[in-house]
Amino acid sequence: MNSNLFVVIAASAIFYGTPLYFAALGEVLTERSGVLNLGVEGMMLMGAVTAASTSIHAPGPTWFALLLAVLAGMVAAGALALLHAFLVVTLRVNQVVSGLAITILAGGAGLSSYLASVWGVATGPVPHQLSSLDVLGLGDLPVLGPIVFDQNALTYLSWAALIGTSWYLFRTRRGLELRAVGESPATADAMGIDVTRSRYLHTVVGGMLAGVGGAYFTLAIVPTWTDGVTAGRGWIAIALVIFGFWRPDLTLLGAYLFGAFSSLAPTLQTRGVDVPVQLLDSLPYLTTVVVLVAVSSGWASRRVGAPAALGTAYEREDR
Amino acid sequence: MTTTEHAAETAGGPPPAVAASGITKRFPGGVVANDDVHLELRAGEVHALLGENGAGKSTLSNVLTGLYRPDAGDLWIHGRLTELHSPRDAIDAGIGMVHQHFRLVAPFTVAENVVLGERSPFRRREAEERVRALGERYRLPVDPTARIWQLSVGQQQRVEILKALDRDARILILDEPTAVLTPQESEALFEVMRAMADEGRAVLFISHKLDEVLAVSDRVTVLRDARNVGTVTTADVDTRELARMMVGREVALGRARTGRAPAPANGARPPALVLDGVGADDDRGCPALHDVTLTVAAGEVLGVCGVAGNGQRELAEVVGGIRRATAGTVTVAGERLRKADPRVAHAAGVAHVPEDRLHTGTAPSLSVEDNLALLAHRRPPLSAGPFLRRSRIRARALELMARFGVKAPGPTTPVRLLSGGNVQKVLLARELSSDPALVVAASPTRGLDVGAIESVRATILAAADAGAGVLLISEDLDEVLDLSDRVAVMYEGRIVGVVDRDEADVTELGLLMGGATLAEVGP
Amino acid sequence: MIRLERRVETPRWLDVAVPLASFVAALVVGGLVLQLTGHSALGTYERIVERALTSDGALSGTLVAATPLLFTGLAAAVAFRMNVFNIGGEGQLVLGAIAASGAGLALEGRPGWLIIGAMVVAGAAAGAAWAAIPGALRAFTGTNEIITSLMLNYVAANLATYLIFGSRSFWRSLEGSGATFPTGKRLPPEASWPSLELGGVVVPFGFLLGVAGAVVLLVVLRATRFGFAMRVVADAPAAARYAGIRGRRVVLGVMALSGAAAGIGGASNIGDTRHVLDPRGLNQAGYGYAGIVVAALARLNPVAVVFVSIVMGGLANAGRALQGPDFPAGLVGTLQGLLLVFTLGGEVFARYRIRRARTVHEAHAGAPPPPTAEVTA
Repeated sequence: MNSNLFVVIAASAIFYGTPLYFAALGEVLTERSGVLNLGVEGMMLMGAVTAASTSIHAPGPTWFALLLAVLAGMVAAGALALLHAFLVVTLRVNQVVSGLAITILAGGAGLSSYLASVWGVATGPVPHQLSSLDVLGLGDLPVLGPIVFDQNALTYLSWAALIGTSWYLFRTRRGLELRAVGESPATADAMGIDVTRSRYLHTVVGGMLAGVGGAYFTLAIVPTWTDGVTAGRGWIAIALVIFGFWRPDLTLLGAYLFGAFSSLAPTLQTRGVDVPVQLLDSLPYLTTVVVLVAVSSGWASRRVGAPAALGTAYEREDR
Repeated sequence: MTTTEHAAETAGGPPPAVAASGITKRFPGGVVANDDVHLELRAGEVHALLGENGAGKSTLSNVLTGLYRPDAGDLWIHGRLTELHSPRDAIDAGIGMVHQHFRLVAPFTVAENVVLGERSPFRRREAEERVRALGERYRLPVDPTARIWQLSVGQQQRVEILKALDRDARILILDEPTAVLTPQESEALFEVMRAMADEGRAVLFISHKLDEVLAVSDRVTVLRDARNVGTVTTADVDTRELARMMVGREVALGRARTGRAPAPANGARPPALVLDGVGADDDRGCPALHDVTLTVAAGEVLGVCGVAGNGQRELAEVVGGIRRATAGTVTVAGERLRKADPRVAHAAGVAHVPEDRLHTGTAPSLSVEDNLALLAHRRPPLSAGPFLRRSRIRARALELMARFGVKAPGPTTPVRLLSGGNVQKVLLARELSSDPALVVAASPTRGLDVGAIESVRATILAAADAGAGVLLISEDLDEVLDLSDRVAVMYEGRIVGVVDRDEADVTELGLLMGGATLAEVGP
Repeated sequence: MIRLERRVETPRWLDVAVPLASFVAALVVGGLVLQLTGHSALGTYERIVERALTSDGALSGTLVAATPLLFTGLAAAVAFRMNVFNIGGEGQLVLGAIAASGAGLALEGRPGWLIIGAMVVAGAAAGAAWAAIPGALRAFTGTNEIITSLMLNYVAANLATYLIFGSRSFWRSLEGSGATFPTGKRLPPEASWPSLELGGVVVPFGFLLGVAGAVVLLVVLRATRFGFAMRVVADAPAAARYAGIRGRRVVLGVMALSGAAAGIGGASNIGDTRHVLDPRGLNQAGYGYAGIVVAALARLNPVAVVFVSIVMGGLANAGRALQGPDFPAGLVGTLQGLLLVFTLGGEVFARYRIRRARTVHEAHAGAPPPPTAEVTA
């Protein structure tokens, strides 16, 4: 076991950053279509509780149960995202309030907690958990080994998602259309693009990715369910989108940065550094604020990167 | 040609490119924008759709491009009954539109904008080549790799046209295309339109400008109050005839300023506005105004013309105290404005009528009386201490509404429910009631119907007659020429020429607006 | 085909009918969820009503539960009206509780009215200050207040936890069992807020304060210069700028006002109910988020907030009283969320009209169109 501090922090940054990345990546897609989804925290929790329950009740070899669990998490979160899309795209409800409503509905004191008790999830650690996959036996390489080659399946999946999403956004016709919808839905509409369908699709996919992020929590990080297990990570994911300028690659960096903060507390403590736990716990949140201010103010008037139509409903016959 | 001859001619030939009949479109609130409208568009012609603002032209074009669904009516495209459910259907039917407010994605490149919505896979290099070739072929050259926000307005319009041509639109609709162009650019556009028609396409040119319609079209259909009042051959009519069809009565065209007494002698009052070497930055921090030096005498109307985006907005904002001047001084009625603060400007006697009536000039969801009180609500008699005095606000509103002829159900009506003309009257009432020394009016008659235009112009001129100086900033050269005593031209943040109205030559002004220097323009 | 057509004006009766219908719809769906998960819908609702209203002392308990919701509801309502989305009510309430308990402990021995007054002021000030942070960030740097105010909730929670569990602070009781087992210092009896007895129902002082606060807010919104400025900034920020209204100050002022309301809620939690700083309890209660639900259901009207907070308080009260194996904790939150979702969805009926678009008229099969009428001058 390599006890080099850097390696430990880097490896755990990736480990803790992966769920953040899934959720943030999903939100990138959603916001690129012009829809602001503040329900990410609720969707992650739904994904988490559904995945945990599936892991408990699913049969068969571990890989099968895990696959089912992740899929179940995606479906549950996706359903919530469908609700959000219906409210904001079809019914033109205020996007901020709708997202909040969904987080409250599914949040730590809501549906996810209710389902947890109904499904009997909080009884103990889930039987099937994600474990590190030693890829090609390279896990023993110095430095790179533990960081890159000794992560779990979902982390590798997230890297594939990075490549896939970047390709989709910047090199395909559909990606071009998506970006047009988020920048100027009127233009996209006039060019024959179905704005409604694009927004629905990318909101639901975004929600599903948040569900995967949530599943990661109960399958890898905190294998025993507690109410509100994600502790605000969904909100950090939303901030990450801004931090990453709505780009899949920069968002990954941000996710790992925040992952590092999450792992800082336990790591420092085992090394006997005497800083109040609560201060360390506050670091991710304080850092988010600082980063947001830095990103917003310097270039505030230019708003580099934000899809111009983010947060607004599109009505073709609006006069 | 008589009616029967026309009918005989069309009866025998190929079906018209577009035949719309009985088009009716209603909007919530009881507004009927199109009332049983019919239109016939033939291949190979440039057909003008003429009407004043609010007559229903844009609505009809939106119906033709699939953006609006009509409540009644049929559409035949090339002789086949067609239903347009969405813009996609219109594109498939061969209809292409150049919108008045461009439908372009600002951060995208020209090529990306042109190919947007196509069904084939996106290949960047191929798209750029195709756009380059298209631009050369139709003499509308534009750099396919440039991003839209980097282009000038005229270039952006070219991209709009290329979009339609890329889809090989057989029916081309241009909605008020000359609003953003200099006279010279408009001429060039007319040549492009003619070329399109000569290729066998049908071109529909939507405008409210009589001289342009006469210059470029083969036939004209006139809309008035949501109805089609007739279609004529252009060669058979003149301006007066068209104006009468457009408005329904005899219209006093031409200069409103003739016969007006010249500005009083200089010694009588200090100049309403003196700008000396003023510079300012735009929202992005780039310089927008350079060394602007202007004087507006008391009782004078100085019109500033220019294509949109050359610093007009920043100029109005600096004078209004909303934008900080990075250089130079601003003096209103002898008093230097030391701070960029609207309150200071108002106190010095500046009245500001901004271009965007509804969201910058007024708060649309608030009532008429609240909007009228917007400037003065902070002080007595409209407030006492921290509290508002509602009865006073109401009384004042009623008084102003009567004085300025604001037509509304009542003082508590939200401003967004009023017609454009009445919103402008509310704005003017609010600003002019404080008896200002300087009135800054930005595009005050844009989008208004003829009746409202006359009323607004009269109000502004009355303010000048009462001794205020008026700084009229407008992209509409006709508006500037009709109202001003002197005309200044703005280009890229600089004043490139100032002439007396009587000596102004439209061609010269057009060249200056397009960037020619005074030397090039000639004596 | 169904089309949504925007209404020009909302008829008055819809303003009442829509929230009512949403309420009913939410109950129906909630009932379905209960039935599908093996509980009796009617039975559960019956027990809720009983524990919230009808049984002995229920109404008093409901008012106690309603009080913090009243404050956070007002906080959310005043901010949301201005399109300033203060999600930080949770943290502002905690800061208010910290400040108020500190004041109460520090002023031990002084007359009751002095302590209580100091607690209210301290709570309001602390809440306002905590809200001023995201407010200033938004006003001066344009940073989105939603995430910043939310992040500060977690920081506030950590701060409160630190004061009791992470340090030997002034707030911590160091005597008796307190020396080893972290617990907060109890406030002196003179710091307990009084209550009013009205026909068998005990109304806490905090609730009365809240009602007064709602009235004050209403007056501010409708009849003061500041309220006027608020409305202009909310509707058309550019127009506000042009008229010389200082938008930044208004945003900052609204956030501070909002935070103050939440902060008094925190003070009330100490003075009316807990009499000690209880970080765990505060974090679990989620008053801030519930306040957002209250505000949304009340359609941001301060007076309506009073009534909605009583309803939600009843729900919370019943939820707490009934807690047990057959009444899962998340039910209250789920019902709240459903209520909110349905209210939001129901809004569409207030803003839009449903119209059936006429499908195209009978086909005129192939017949050529009539020739265009030429003008006859």
